[in-house]
Amino acid sequence: MKTNTNMKRRELTDLFIKIISSIAASIGIFFLLWIIFTVFQRGFAALSIDFFTKLPTPPGMEGGGLVNAITGTAIITFLATIIGVPVGVLTGIYLSEYGSHSRFGSLVRLVVNLTIGIPSIVVGLFVFALVVIPTGNFSAWAGALAQSIIMLPVIARTSEDMLNLVPNELREASLAIGMPKWRSIVSIIFRYSKSGIMTGVLLAVARISGETAPLLFTVMNSQFWMKSLNEPIANLTVTIYNYAMSPFDDWRQFAWGASLLITMVVLFLNIIARMILKEAK
Amino acid sequence: MSVVSLLHSKASIPEELQKNEACLPLYYEHLNTPPKVSVCGLDFFYGEHQALLDNDIDIAPNKVTAIIGPSGCGKSTHLRVYNRIFELYKDQKAKGKVLLDGENIFSSKINILELRRKVGMIFQKPTPFPMSVFENVAYGLKLHYAISKSEISIKVEEALRRAALWDEVKDMLSKPGMALSGGQQQRLCVARAIAVEPEVLLMDEPTSAIDPVATLKIEELIDSLKQKFTIVIVTHNMQQAARISDFTAFFYKGKIVEFDKTKKIFTNPAQKKTEEYITGRFG
Ligand SMILES: Nc1ncnc2c1ncn2[C@@H]1O[C@H](COP(=O)(O)OP(=O)(O)O)[C@@H](O)[C@H]1O
Ligand SMILES: [Mg+2]
Repeated sequence: MKTNTNMKRRELTDLFIKIISSIAASIGIFFLLWIIFTVFQRGFAALSIDFFTKLPTPPGMEGGGLVNAITGTAIITFLATIIGVPVGVLTGIYLSEYGSHSRFGSLVRLVVNLTIGIPSIVVGLFVFALVVIPTGNFSAWAGALAQSIIMLPVIARTSEDMLNLVPNELREASLAIGMPKWRSIVSIIFRYSKSGIMTGVLLAVARISGETAPLLFTVMNSQFWMKSLNEPIANLTVTIYNYAMSPFDDWRQFAWGASLLITMVVLFLNIIARMILKEAK
Repeated sequence: MSVVSLLHSKASIPEELQKNEACLPLYYEHLNTPPKVSVCGLDFFYGEHQALLDNDIDIAPNKVTAIIGPSGCGKSTHLRVYNRIFELYKDQKAKGKVLLDGENIFSSKINILELRRKVGMIFQKPTPFPMSVFENVAYGLKLHYAISKSEISIKVEEALRRAALWDEVKDMLSKPGMALSGGQQQRLCVARAIAVEPEVLLMDEPTSAIDPVATLKIEELIDSLKQKFTIVIVTHNMQQAARISDFTAFFYKGKIVEFDKTKKIFTNPAQKKTEEYITGRFG
């Protein structure tokens, strides 16, 4: 008899947990879908050929577009990627293949894990103090540097994790046919974990392409075409920040358009990352 | 050392060894050649833990030498000294001498990459590289030899044929090596190892992770490979040792308890421990 009531109670608890976790999941999904839906609904109206091809107009004037901000974000993200990815991947390789048990390795790992948690606005402030003030101007380079600092630990960490998944037998097998260690790393170990590392890189790129804080006081923003990488340039996230708070309806409309664009790019990168991972399996 | 039926013959002992009276190489009565590998007073440490104690053994050229013994007795540890692969791990240390053709592999004159070309290794689990079947075999070739593309193709085919794999893979050379079956992957690893023309092949339980049919194929392969190579194989399968080897070393708790012709070990072992092990009383 006793076991029977116990069973009942256990089943009830089970059901209860199932119900509240389903509710929690539904709430989460609901807000997510709501955000995406709103961004699409509001943003879609802003998207036009002009949006992608014209420069912004002064406040009050109709028309214009965000072509400078779109290219600006693309450039900053690209620069950040070519700085952050090699350094991040090499750091991951160091941690996994060379310094896994050394003191310096542990120190690097600690720093990597700590910097992953640093708020991006702090990184922006750091670059502001270190680059912007000494050089005397905001620039695309400063922004790219800030973004790459945000990417670096994320990529280093995923790379290390992915490299740690490589079976040790493969390391031994490649050295056992007389490969120097660097070659075994480059053409066997790295190749084995390439898709995992690629996924990590794409997710990091997706993450920084939506960051605003590190750009606020490093790149700032601009209404014009950029002339060089050593000056403030237009970019989507700071544009969203500026335009969303402006009193002009058409600027707020543009902010939604820019939000939609970034959301789509981020979603796209995430989907590609997932596909690469699936392919690898 | 309890090598009963083996004779000492100082005739062609390398000079380096002659100075070391404690460890004369043991010459096989029916062989007129010096040993391919001669191990002398080998100790091995995992950090503080000593896993091998004073191992002496001579590996006959162009023969199959089997290493048997209960799990954890140091078979793999012993084998992994011959190509110095253990050096990948900082806390692992070997003491003593391992002579390959009379030259100490720990000498500073030894080029480790060349040593590993000469002393190939097959692991327990198949370890194809993340590349095509063809590339798996070609990689080592390109690494060690400056040869043309057409020569590479010829050598790859030759190695795959010798590994008894060619007929099964000739139409899928560009497929990933990992797409092959376990037994095929293991033969691919054999092909990869022999492609660089090694002199010694080390095999650490090469059949323990594959099915019986594939095991049979590998065993036949080993028999054909000894024409060209000196083979040292670790196995915990005593029937396998009896089937394929010429000499057998019985390891127990890090020591070589007995080393002799395989026939002798399995019919009339000199040591009680050996007899207990081969009759299945422990292990
Ligand atoms: N990486 C390692 N670190 C520490 N001890 C090890 C390691 N590998 C093996 N050993 C120890 O060394 C001894 C011999 O192991 P091993 O050579 O793998 O035995 P076998 O191959 O005969 O089964 C065992 O006691 C084992 O616990
Ligand atoms: Mg073993």
